[in-house]
Amino acid sequence: MIETKTDTALYGYAVVGPVSDELRDVLDGLELIGTAELAVVVAPVPLSEFGEDVLEDHLNDRQWLAETATAHEAVMQRLLAHTTVAPLRFGSLHRSRESVELFLAEHEAEFRATLARLRGRVEYGVKVWLEPRPRKAPRATDSGGRGYLEQLRDDRDSAANAAAQLDEQLTRIHERLLETADAARLNRPQPRELTGATAEMVLNAAYLVPVGDEALFEEVARLREEHPDLAFDLTGPWAPYNFVEEPET
Amino acid sequence: MTVTARDVTLVELVDRVLNKGVVLTGDLVLGVAEVDLIYVGLRVLLASAGTLDRIEQENAA
Repeated sequence: MIETKTDTALYGYAVVGPVSDELRDVLDGLELIGTAELAVVVAPVPLSEFGEDVLEDHLNDRQWLAETATAHEAVMQRLLAHTTVAPLRFGSLHRSRESVELFLAEHEAEFRATLARLRGRVEYGVKVWLEPRPRKAPRATDSGGRGYLEQLRDDRDSAANAAAQLDEQLTRIHERLLETADAARLNRPQPRELTGATAEMVLNAAYLVPVGDEALFEEVARLREEHPDLAFDLTGPWAPYNFVEEPET
Repeated sequence: MTVTARDVTLVELVDRVLNKGVVLTGDLVLGVAEVDLIYVGLRVLLASAGTLDRIEQENAA
């Protein structure tokens, strides 16, 4: 049981910096805790909404989820227009201003480095899809007289070759996209059950690019032409959700 | 199951909001935050409840 003095907590949206008057003007009910160089954007929330049981119910409510996630991203976009933003994960609560201040103090160097890395940049998501190829049915007869099992083996080998070829293609695709970006993050492709698509997601990546830089889009356009068997989904600009951690060296 | 363009964007959004970003060590951290939120939240975006369990089993394997 969590003990708090009041029945509200501070919900943290993002670490931002620098803080300008323009940023303060768009806060609209949100608060800043910190300094002019480094601050956390927070909102007071009722603990009753964030207790474990209540939250699990909420997260299973499509309406609530859609509204909350949309509102969360809307805050990010508002902030992004006026400062560098390192999004905090959903559900980051503090019990007091002092707690937030302590958090900032403890991680100050880290956050300064993160914001320096993210300054003037936004995230784009690229997903690549492959339509399933119809499986070749083994032929009943063959003029060469080869057996059924041999045909299956051939099918399996050609499937393995196709998979290896696809891997090579995707590696090259990712390398080319990475060249247009400052950083990239490869995520696990989402299974069909999640996407509801007939096509299979074969690449799920995020790229960090300078605001206004079009090199990534141009590369995606080229790749679309070169790979008519693949579909490319480009989404963004997002706040840099995928780039808040130190890149692995 | 057909997924509209809006659904696809919602999956993208929820994936980022729930699964990415700085993990904050505050005085209070949602208990649910310990869970793989992407699956808790995305449960509602799947047509059938059975498929999520199957994904989790496949991922655990």
